[in-house]
Amino acid sequence: MKSVKIIAVVCGALALAACDAPKKDKTVDRGIDKKHLSQLKAGVWIDPNGCDHWIIDDGAEGYLSARLDQYGKPVCSGTAPPNTATGAYKSGTFVTDPV
Amino acid sequence: MTGRLFRSVRKVFGACGAIALGGAVAVTGTLTGGAALAQQTTVVGETYIPTIWVDPDGCEHWVMDDGWEGYMSPHTNRQGIPVCRRGNVCGVMNSDQLFQTDSANINAGGRKHLVDFFREAGAVSYIITGHTDSRASDEYNMNLSMRRANSVARLAQQSGVSIADVRGYGERMPKASNNTAAGMQQNRRVEIICIR
Repeated sequence: MKSVKIIAVVCGALALAACDAPKKDKTVDRGIDKKHLSQLKAGVWIDPNGCDHWIIDDGAEGYLSARLDQYGKPVCSGTAPPNTATGAYKSGTFVTDPV
Repeated sequence: MTGRLFRSVRKVFGACGAIALGGAVAVTGTLTGGAALAQQTTVVGETYIPTIWVDPDGCEHWVMDDGWEGYMSPHTNRQGIPVCRRGNVCGVMNSDQLFQTDSANINAGGRKHLVDFFREAGAVSYIITGHTDSRASDEYNMNLSMRRANSVARLAQQSGVSIADVRGYGERMPKASNNTAAGMQQNRRVEIICIR
């Protein structure tokens, strides 16, 4: 009974200490730059067809997701040439990316 | 003494691992393949519950951080329409004020209104979509809305702005009921989406 209690306490402590492995809560960044993922800052990447995607370089993690208009069609804004990334997509973290 | 302590620490860690694994491995759910045919199945997988990130346009994306990896995908409904908290529509032109019935020629007043609009809007580029009410056939309305959207796009380009896309949706994307005259008038429109 006592050991069960100890296990529960130690597990709780480990989970709190970001030792949640495998990581179960996918909604937060537990790295050095802790934050909820709704805080991410995006730029725009233009694909080879000229269409926009939201791009986020968040230190260890990278995110890319299609920019769609309200009808669900790709937005191809022409804001930059194909194969380029623009905007402050590296600004949401202080973790530098050496590559 | 040291040996016993080490063993019990190992036991505690082992139990933690087992608890973590137990929480992650078996996902039991009901897959419904039709109203009549519901059956219980066990799926081997891990729980991945996303949160929501809202892009600068106001539309939602599913996002997950797996420790080292990040994942993201647009949040759309089952028809492929994005779930947005606000839209990028910056202008709705009432077709009755721009065109004669069945015509795609923009009248003088409408031309001035549109040129002024595009001079003020200041976006990177624009998407122009034409819409009609539900009178006449679907085919006729698809054609008329496209011709009207093209007329607006041509004028926009003449005023020196960049057009990203031009579409005619006919009567297929109503914004009001076609059962009332007021609703039909709202549906006869040319929408301008501003991309910033």
